[in-house]
Amino acid sequence: MSLFTLENIAVSYNKQHVLKDFNLEIEKGKLVSLLGPSGCGKTTTLRLIAGFLQSDEGKFLFQEKDYTKVPVNKRNFGFVFQNYALFPHLTIFDNVAFGLKLRKVGKAEIEKRVMNVLDIVNLQGFEKRYPKELSGGQKQRVAIARALVIEPDLLLFDEPLSNLDANLRESMRVEIRRIQQELGITTVYVSHDQEECFSISDQVAIMNKGVIEQLSDPATIYKYPSTKFVADFIGFKNFIDFDTVAEREGQIELKKGDYTFVIQKDGEMKNISGKTGAIRPDNLQIRAKSAADPLPPNGLFGQVNVTTFLGRSYQYVVETAIGNFVVNQEMAQPLSMGQEVILEFPKDEMVLVD
Amino acid sequence: MSKKYIYLLLLPGVLFLTIFMLVPIFMTMGTTFFREDGFTVEGYLQFFKDPYFMGILFTTLRVSVITTIISIFLGFPVAYFVSKMGPRKKAFLLLLTIFPLLTSPVVRSFSWMIIIGKNGVLNNILTGIGLIEEPLSILYTPTAIIIGLVHLFLPLIIITLVGVMENIEPDLLTAAESLGASKLGVFAKVVVPLCVPGLVIGSILVFVGSFTAYTTPALLGGKQRVISTFLYQNAITLNDWQVASIVAVIMIVVTVLVISLMNVLAKKLNPRG
Repeated sequence: MSLFTLENIAVSYNKQHVLKDFNLEIEKGKLVSLLGPSGCGKTTTLRLIAGFLQSDEGKFLFQEKDYTKVPVNKRNFGFVFQNYALFPHLTIFDNVAFGLKLRKVGKAEIEKRVMNVLDIVNLQGFEKRYPKELSGGQKQRVAIARALVIEPDLLLFDEPLSNLDANLRESMRVEIRRIQQELGITTVYVSHDQEECFSISDQVAIMNKGVIEQLSDPATIYKYPSTKFVADFIGFKNFIDFDTVAEREGQIELKKGDYTFVIQKDGEMKNISGKTGAIRPDNLQIRAKSAADPLPPNGLFGQVNVTTFLGRSYQYVVETAIGNFVVNQEMAQPLSMGQEVILEFPKDEMVLVD
Repeated sequence: MSKKYIYLLLLPGVLFLTIFMLVPIFMTMGTTFFREDGFTVEGYLQFFKDPYFMGILFTTLRVSVITTIISIFLGFPVAYFVSKMGPRKKAFLLLLTIFPLLTSPVVRSFSWMIIIGKNGVLNNILTGIGLIEEPLSILYTPTAIIIGLVHLFLPLIIITLVGVMENIEPDLLTAAESLGASKLGVFAKVVVPLCVPGLVIGSILVFVGSFTAYTTPALLGGKQRVISTFLYQNAITLNDWQVASIVAVIMIVVTVLVISLMNVLAKKLNPRG
């Protein structure tokens, strides 16, 4: 059952459209991430849901009620800010209790709920401290506790971990996921960090220029990006614009110039309307070519142009008749510059995108 | 250079303040306790028994407190508005704000005389449109002094408040709203408490300024004495330096007391301020 829907939303700043004809539907109890480069409209979307800004057009339906014009303070959504936004003049207890006091909850009840939520975020014993006495990770826990304690109908995160260092980011995201699942609270999570979104989300919406390019579960996006933008964003660095795409006996035959490629038509790969093939650098096979070698199926001749050492593997940029390809491969001895090579495209690793 | 010698840099300032401020203050204080017959607090006792002087002291305190309160209430919304502006507009508005400080208090006071005098602009307008029968007598009353002082000191409180308001993160306000606070609630529960440090500094500046102001009360107060005009009268007109010194000491003590009181209050309102 969908909890809320954004319908044909349009938002613009200075006559520049940030969102246009934007649609999004989110199910109850799910954690959905909005992922994309800066300026893609993800934060705008989140602030619109929170009510911090109004849309020029479109509707926001929440539990089938029209929330488009409901003011922020009547929405009962919890919001967690990138910079924590804790009240510096209040103790941790009073920070967390802020929303409850406004709701005229009784004193004993406030005490009970604040202590309980501080327990959930592992901050027992911090009630009497002030925000500036806490570390970044602790502050963000307080911010989460403050948003949770009002028992919000929806929890919104705006890049909550980007001010924390790498180790803390990883443990905090596990924590956020744990809390979200424990309480079964519907959550919208904005980030530009791919790994972060993929690791904690039920669904990921990849956004670009105010449009959702793909909305799906992380595994599907990772394996079957549906557009060139998504593929590029999640690490498919190699693209071939094919001249023809034809389906044949459960396989797909692709032609580019004189070269023909055949790829598997996977059950989950619905998109064969796209004409652009995409493949990750890790999935391309590369080997040195000796003079007598014929062109293998799904193969391509080329020449090593650049070699970079990545630590675990070597990265090559290979020049071919149909463009440059980036290949990562583990090998004891790196291929040298100018080396003639054969590239092979495994049948089940190339996907077609729009 | 060793760390010890760094303190030498403080020497000129410390010496200057000691010779030209601390020593004279203590000398002034000393003279109030000694007469030909030795140590005495008789001078002070006489003062506090004298209803005329106590009247002046309380009028001055009342005028200063009212001026401070009016300045806070007038200044707060202005500061809030200015602090939300873009940098260019803000700079321009702040320049306009401090403009009154650039004109001489004498000129300003004369302008007020023209406006609020018996046959002044204000009375002419009010009687002209038939709102009042008799002209109001505002000039030469404590009210006139308060008007003049508010005009003089409002810029100080606006500037200090803009300073603290600029540093309030906008996200704090949205955070309060998302937790259920109305616009008014955000203002009362977040903006005002975070402004306490600025309010305290601004209030102290306005209060001390009003308490010790001379020109404005001398011109707008007429026969209504305040403590500074009373001091001047004793020292220059009556040539009674003993009384003048006692008044000066009382002024210093009152000022220090009020500042300490404000700080205590500030700690209560904003423990982390």
